[in-house]
Amino acid sequence: MRVSALRLHQFRCFGSLSCELGEGVNLFTGDNAQGKTSLVESICVLLRLQSPRTSSSSDLAQFGADAFGIRAILDGERELSHSWQAGKRRLALDGSPCRKSGDYLEASGLVVWMGNEDIQLVRGAGDSRRRYLDFAASQLYPDYRPALLAYEKALRSRNFLLKRDASPNWRQIDAYSGVLIRHGEIVIRRRSELVSQLQPWAAEAHTHVGGSRETLAISYVSGSGSSFTQSLAESQPEELRRRVTVVGPHRDDLQLLIDGRSAGQYASEGQQRTVALSLKLAQARLLQERRQTMPIILVDDIFGELDPGRRNALLSYLPAAAQKMITTTHLNWLDSNGGALSSAARFHVHAGEVVRIS
Amino acid sequence: MRRVGYPAEIVDLISHLKRLPGIGPKSAERIAIWLLRAKGEFAFEFSGAIRSAKEQVAFCRFCGFFASGQDGCDFCNDPDRNTECICVVEQPTDMLPIERTGAFRGHYHSLGGKISPLDNIGPDELRIDSLVQRIKNGEVNEIILAVGSDVEGEATASFLADHLKRIDLGRPLAITRIAQGMPAGGGLESADELTLFRALDGRRSL
Repeated sequence: MRVSALRLHQFRCFGSLSCELGEGVNLFTGDNAQGKTSLVESICVLLRLQSPRTSSSSDLAQFGADAFGIRAILDGERELSHSWQAGKRRLALDGSPCRKSGDYLEASGLVVWMGNEDIQLVRGAGDSRRRYLDFAASQLYPDYRPALLAYEKALRSRNFLLKRDASPNWRQIDAYSGVLIRHGEIVIRRRSELVSQLQPWAAEAHTHVGGSRETLAISYVSGSGSSFTQSLAESQPEELRRRVTVVGPHRDDLQLLIDGRSAGQYASEGQQRTVALSLKLAQARLLQERRQTMPIILVDDIFGELDPGRRNALLSYLPAAAQKMITTTHLNWLDSNGGALSSAARFHVHAGEVVRIS
Repeated sequence: MRRVGYPAEIVDLISHLKRLPGIGPKSAERIAIWLLRAKGEFAFEFSGAIRSAKEQVAFCRFCGFFASGQDGCDFCNDPDRNTECICVVEQPTDMLPIERTGAFRGHYHSLGGKISPLDNIGPDELRIDSLVQRIKNGEVNEIILAVGSDVEGEATASFLADHLKRIDLGRPLAITRIAQGMPAGGGLESADELTLFRALDGRRSL
């Protein structure tokens, strides 16, 4: 998949921008705080309707504005448009409004985002790993996102009921338990399927990028035991005490082991970065294999952090035919990687302006 | 110099029209002016129609549909309807689409909403007691739950099914839920994957 003819309106630091993107590698260079990340972020927001940096659309509008707009052409034929004004999102495909975000996402492209904050996948709390699984699963399974949204809504209502009354009204709570289980089971089944499919790719990427003999093993850790229905029934005493739903996919995690030891606890910084990269690379490979189409790869500022060996390994492992948007502050590493990036379209980003330099 | 606007009466009319669903400030202004200029008695007839609808129409105390006067609605007064089956819907307006199918000849019952704790709507805010009374008093042996398939609709259906099963009737009461899935007359290729998934889930044997 390819995006071209990117247009931004009042998005982050960009008042108005028009950028012709190249088919292969697009390199965005420039000092800090000039808009490189925002530019790449806009592609993620356009294609997947979510930003890796914020969950609030109002953050995406230019400072002082209450609206933003993003549009681009996908695969040279379909125009995607995502605009937001005063709290309302408007989506359009080829100029005609698209009411259901599910239909829009179905027609949109696949995305892999790689950024510095990925290290949280290894070091951070479970929610960063669940977000990673959610982002990937939504792009692979059409039933995943609706089930996840319904699950989250049912969970909010159920937790509210658990907290509301001095003595919980179990008949009302149980009305939500059924809904929670029905949607939760779809989420559980898909996440577990996803992790087992990611596992071989993650291990391979880890060997390739890390260049060592250590093996990475990833596994799905269910937050609801072997049967969600049973765990939920058994957790009632604890729910009564803590007044919150204590089992379910919202407690899932992804276990990351290097040679059998927890990567989050025992691995060095460099090893942790390699694990985080491997997870994202595995996502790219899996999307490519399962959806039979190349994801668009957005790489924000991570090349500067890597030693030349890993940088080369990463560049060579990224699917060659995929369109890539790469941001970086310093250029000195670029020329040592001249081979892989010699044909890249280069852009200079300065104060919300983007100029093509080669 | 004072800026001149519409006289107070027109401003008042516009501000009322603006509160109607789907009417913005521009449309409100256009409708107000149109009403004033409309030929003959239209504006008076219109205001009369609003007044008499508001004064005469109430909710049927049995099923919750719209009824004029005190004698119940056209559904409840229809002697040809099957009294053994009640179709439960969220809103009275949901009855008409089902009615238009012609596939259902029983009675209806509107709950007046759905359970939604986050909006402070619990079972006590819905017309559940009157449904139970109808089941107890009549000869009902089937309840069809035709509430929505969103999270609140599902929770409402689940709560109701559980609640109705607990009634001690002394006769069997079947509780069913309307199916979800493939649109009628559509080919498989035009259905989205989620719809297909639900349709597969709710398949039936032939």
